[in-house]
Amino acid sequence: MAIAIPSIACLGVIGRNNNPLHVSVFPSYDPTTNSFAPLRTPLQFSLLLSSTLDVFEQRARQNAANATGLTGDYGLLHAIDERLASYGFETNTGVKFVVVVDMRGRRVDGAVLGGRAAGVGAVGLREGEMKPVFKAMQTAYVKLLQNPFYDPDEHSPPTGSGGKKIVSRKFAEDMRRIGESWTPGVTAL
Amino acid sequence: MDGYPKGSLDPSIPLLLTLGVAAGSDHGTELDAALKEYGVLIRSEVAPLDTEQALGLLRYIQEHDASRRVKSGPDGTTNPRYRFRVRTAERSLLLPPRHARLPDGAEPPASPAALHSPFSPLSTVSSLYPDGLIDTTWLQKHQALVPAVLLCFYTLVSDPTQATLCDNQIKSDLNNIKGLLGQSGYKTKLAVVLLSDQRTTATEGLQERLETIRKGCGIDSKALFLVPPNESTEELWRMTENMLVTLYPLAVDHYRDLGRHARKKRGRGVAPQPTIPPTSGTSQTLSLAGWNVRYDFKSAVFAEFRSEHENALRSYDQAYEGLLSSELLEVIPSWSPRWNEARSLADVIAIRGISCLLYGGQHSAAARRWQLHRDRVAGFVDRHGRGTKNYGWKAWESRWAVVMANLVERAAIPEFDPSHHLRYLQPEKAAMGERLQPFEFLHHPGYWYRIAAQHLYARRALAHAMPEDDRSPPSSSPASHVASKAFTYDTYMCPEPHEEYPLNNVPGTDYGHLIVDCLMRARKEFLQRQQVRFAAELSLECARELTKSRDWNGVVELLRPLWKDMSFRTEGWLTIAEELSWILRGAAAMVGEASLVVAIDWELLNREFTRRPKWYYDISKSLDGMSPQSRPHVHIEDGQTLSFVSSSFIFKDEEGKAGQSANGQLTLQSNAHQGSAPIRLSSVQVDFNGSVNRIIFEHEDDADVQQKHGSTLLSAVSLTAATSKGKAPATDPDSPDEEQMVILKGDANLSLEPGQTIVLGVQIPLREPGETCAVSLTLNMQLESFDLDQYQSLQPGRGVNLWYLSASRTKRIPREDPLAVRVLPRPPQMEIVGLTWKDQYYTDEPITLEFEIVNEEDFDAPAKLDAILVGPLPPVFIVEAPGQDETSSDDGGKEESRLSGLSLGAIESSKSIITYVRVPPIPQPTQYSLTLKVVYFLSTNPGTPITQTAVFQLNIVNPFEANYDLLPRVHPDPWPSFFDPEGVRDPSEDDTHLLPKGLSQTWALVTRYASFASEDLRVHDVDIRVQTSRTVRCHPIRTLPSLPNPQGGWVVKPKTIEDAAFDITSQKHTLDDRSQSTLDVSLVIKWSRLTSPHAPPNTTTLPVPRFILFGTEPRVLASASPIRLKDGSKPLIVLQIIIENASNHFLTFGLSMEPSDDFAFSGPKQTTMHLLPVSRRSVTYRLLPLGNGTSTGGWIKPGLVVRDKYFQKVLRVSPTEGMKLDKDGSFLVWVPPDEEDSESGEEESGEESE
Repeated sequence: MAIAIPSIACLGVIGRNNNPLHVSVFPSYDPTTNSFAPLRTPLQFSLLLSSTLDVFEQRARQNAANATGLTGDYGLLHAIDERLASYGFETNTGVKFVVVVDMRGRRVDGAVLGGRAAGVGAVGLREGEMKPVFKAMQTAYVKLLQNPFYDPDEHSPPTGSGGKKIVSRKFAEDMRRIGESWTPGVTAL
Repeated sequence: MDGYPKGSLDPSIPLLLTLGVAAGSDHGTELDAALKEYGVLIRSEVAPLDTEQALGLLRYIQEHDASRRVKSGPDGTTNPRYRFRVRTAERSLLLPPRHARLPDGAEPPASPAALHSPFSPLSTVSSLYPDGLIDTTWLQKHQALVPAVLLCFYTLVSDPTQATLCDNQIKSDLNNIKGLLGQSGYKTKLAVVLLSDQRTTATEGLQERLETIRKGCGIDSKALFLVPPNESTEELWRMTENMLVTLYPLAVDHYRDLGRHARKKRGRGVAPQPTIPPTSGTSQTLSLAGWNVRYDFKSAVFAEFRSEHENALRSYDQAYEGLLSSELLEVIPSWSPRWNEARSLADVIAIRGISCLLYGGQHSAAARRWQLHRDRVAGFVDRHGRGTKNYGWKAWESRWAVVMANLVERAAIPEFDPSHHLRYLQPEKAAMGERLQPFEFLHHPGYWYRIAAQHLYARRALAHAMPEDDRSPPSSSPASHVASKAFTYDTYMCPEPHEEYPLNNVPGTDYGHLIVDCLMRARKEFLQRQQVRFAAELSLECARELTKSRDWNGVVELLRPLWKDMSFRTEGWLTIAEELSWILRGAAAMVGEASLVVAIDWELLNREFTRRPKWYYDISKSLDGMSPQSRPHVHIEDGQTLSFVSSSFIFKDEEGKAGQSANGQLTLQSNAHQGSAPIRLSSVQVDFNGSVNRIIFEHEDDADVQQKHGSTLLSAVSLTAATSKGKAPATDPDSPDEEQMVILKGDANLSLEPGQTIVLGVQIPLREPGETCAVSLTLNMQLESFDLDQYQSLQPGRGVNLWYLSASRTKRIPREDPLAVRVLPRPPQMEIVGLTWKDQYYTDEPITLEFEIVNEEDFDAPAKLDAILVGPLPPVFIVEAPGQDETSSDDGGKEESRLSGLSLGAIESSKSIITYVRVPPIPQPTQYSLTLKVVYFLSTNPGTPITQTAVFQLNIVNPFEANYDLLPRVHPDPWPSFFDPEGVRDPSEDDTHLLPKGLSQTWALVTRYASFASEDLRVHDVDIRVQTSRTVRCHPIRTLPSLPNPQGGWVVKPKTIEDAAFDITSQKHTLDDRSQSTLDVSLVIKWSRLTSPHAPPNTTTLPVPRFILFGTEPRVLASASPIRLKDGSKPLIVLQIIIENASNHFLTFGLSMEPSDDFAFSGPKQTTMHLLPVSRRSVTYRLLPLGNGTSTGGWIKPGLVVRDKYFQKVLRVSPTEGMKLDKDGSFLVWVPPDEEDSESGEEESGEESE
């Protein structure tokens, strides 16, 4: 039996000023038409990424109040509905990575997955399964920062509002690779 | 949860019924009319109580009704000790009949008919007959009709005369009620409250009476309560509370009995037969599986009554599995009404199960069960029902999501309190390790409402996709079509197709309203948890719906606050901002919000937004098609929109001076969509803080542009001052609001095409010193239909700080704050000129310095002068100013000498005055600095002193330097005899009046002085001043040179050496004094500058090093004097050797004269001389030079040696006039030349002698 497994629907990089730096959208499998198509429109994905900022802000406040770690993996931010869930990561420079997972984005033969297919129609996610994604995204971002022509201040000005988007083709390529190659259980990207 | 039958989802709470208090109503009136007829009526014959106490007690009980509590947590956030649903009856209560009657006209069965409960599918009166499962009426029976506890209120009369009578009355009434209850078949517990009206506390008889009543009626001792009279309210409450706590176990027991009964029936394992076998329909009866479901459901509900959620959940699970098993739901045909009933029951069971899970804290299990039920039902509907591809299914899905939202709300999970800002709960421990779906973390109701809305969208889409045939009412469509329609559309809990989406624009289901309702509820939840962006997204969705339903006001109301300060704009989520703006613009145009429309249009002109196809961007036509009542004046605040006009103002230089002007540039850049209509600003206003006036650029069509390069236009604008009555800039709080304000106006072409940059250069006059910076910019536009102004506050670091050198060249201004210019104080226009300034001044010269103070200001200036002389030991100086007395400075001590505040009077414009500074002669060479400070005021601005300072260096040097030689000479007088008694002084005589009688010596002091001045000086006189000790008398005589012009002196050139010689004759006062004495001489030169011939000469005194006179050692002097025996012959030189013995000893000297080839001599070649103490003797030699070529004169060296015979020491022979010493210490004698040259030769020899 073919069962649905999670896939990445969207990768977002959000700057220190809460400004979008990069958005990659990935198509999900649609069983009715047997084709791949993005689950939402780019505008909807924008809204979706933007709504995670509420969570980042709350977490930051909580972290400040509890004096716990200022950065790092925020885990599940929220599940928008049964299919889409956002996971977040914040670097110590305030750059945020958001992964939107479509819980039924791919379909595989049940035999391939073997014992892991425990759910009725879909496979769940364990805590920490997003770690390799964030790690890969951070590596890609660090590579971008190493480019002397990339000026972080231009993309998140210290004045505190707005900023340019990332235009690096290499970075976009990295994001595409990460988004397409991740499946549950992958440990390195 | 609204759609489910009333009461089906209510929580199960034990029912408590009070009887006998005047509450105004009786119980059981809501009973079904058919059942009312033969219901059991229980009536109390005792008059109801209406005392304050009784009513208060009742009120307390009612207030603690668990079903009314807002938060009815299982663990009792309010009260954990009991839960009651409270009903009241004044005098009577009607209970539903225990057994249904046989239907009228039914033929009586053979055996005595087995009558069943009217709520059972076995009874014909029940709607479930013959094969239904269970419905709400059964739930209602236990939740609202049959009480677990009946609480009767009576008065315990204290009057002894009536006591027995009343007690008996109570007894009989209670017995009556008890009997009726027993008849009814319900095992309701009876409890009694006796309210005593006794005033005294005679407990003796009371206890007995209570016993009598209790025993007389057979009431449990726990169920009889006595309330003493006149208790305080708190005490009454406490008692009531205790009473309820005592009653609660009785109620729980009641439901436990019922539950046991249900389980017993299930355990029988037989399907009971109905009273009358069904004859109509399929004549099918409820299967055993159905009965099991029914019993399990009952057990679960009773467990819920008992608050045993675990047990309830287990029973619900059993019922659910049974219901969805192959024996029940699988076999019910989907056309049968039982199909929908079964679905409804499945829903109810699932809801109740989820509710139990939530109460039990199993949040993830609840979420999972929610999904599971949805999935299973979907499977059933797909396989047996009408499928999930129609609006009915989506309607149910939406309902199912709302149900979950309601359940989560009702469960009142403390972690979901909005103050915690939690979005979802962590899974319970049991589910921790599993691979959970993200949505199985229980999210707050906002998410569920949103899902409901999403399903409503789908429902609408599916409804709108229905073919028209299906949407026609059944009356007007062919029967066959009606039949097929019935199998196509799922109408479970939703309308038929012709009602859902009727034809001919007849209103059907108002999807928009449903969606907005869900979204608004979701939005409220998100806002409560400060998920503002999510809430904004929902607002946006709402607005789209409202737009569809043309509720323009709603859209504006919803979006306007968002539009005003949305984070999407500031954070750069422009696609979202754009979407929002367009929706709001559409609505605003409809409701006539002209200013909003203009503001949005203004923002959307920005090229950062996507260009809307087929939209003509022209701000001036924004209001076309609208007719606002008044001319709108749109004011756009800073940061309110992403303006497409970026404007900045910068100063070129960091500093400027008051009275001068600063270069500034205003840059306006349009980032509008290409192809949009150019805008024409009517004016641009720049406000400054500090002293710079407001600048207003006004549009002028034919103002010329000086440079154009690409899309950059550069022009210089000249400003003219004008006054205007207006508000001063708000940043300057000191200035009064309404006043005549000076503004600077300039004309420029301010029409701005897309992509164009206008640069306006200005020269801004600076008035007052201090920091001044550009604060804000306001763009004004006046169009036909509206006015617009955009305010922008300027902040450093925002702009790019580009300065346009020309239209094509820019440079970046690297300053931190190019918006600001520091205005330095007005430079003084007062000159201080040193008129006769010299590089050097000399010691001992009075110095007069002349200064001119020139007023170059445009106004007269009263001025004051400060003068400070700084240096080592500065002298007191004098300042002379016109019209003033000479003023001398104070003695400032070691460091400085100062004169302050000398008034110079008013100096007229472009006039000058001369002042003199006179410094007295300064003895030492040194350096001073003279600071002159003129402080003045301008008549135009008397408050501000202006200071001009000039510093002059005063170098004081010695004009002359000199060196000295003291040469011995022979004193012509004979020495006084040591042995002459006349020379002995009488000690009694006064020293001063005596002539000196001591030894005498003659010396020649030869000085050579040089001018170290930088110019020629006139020397008037050179003299020496002798300071002798007391023991010596001195008498100086100048010998050389004789002054050529005693009046005028002579001119000494710089760096040339001049000679002066003096003879000094000294004599000791007494002969007895034989110690050596010192000679202190100073050289005095009187001189003047050539430039000031009439000034009195200056006197420079040069100290001469100290000389020693009158040594005690013997000395030998040689003197030579040439004589000519006859004219023309060679000169004969008489050499006289004089030996002086100033000591008290007798000395013997040997003299020897070496013969020489240079001369012939006469005199002793070798002799011995004896000298007495204090005596001198001389030997004379005559020398005849022999050498040729003496016509020019020459030196001869007599080999004369004087030797102290005793000490064997050679004495040095000191030469005198006309002689000199050579290198090895022996003396030389000058031989004058032959006769004709003799005079000049003598002169020469005099000069050269050393």
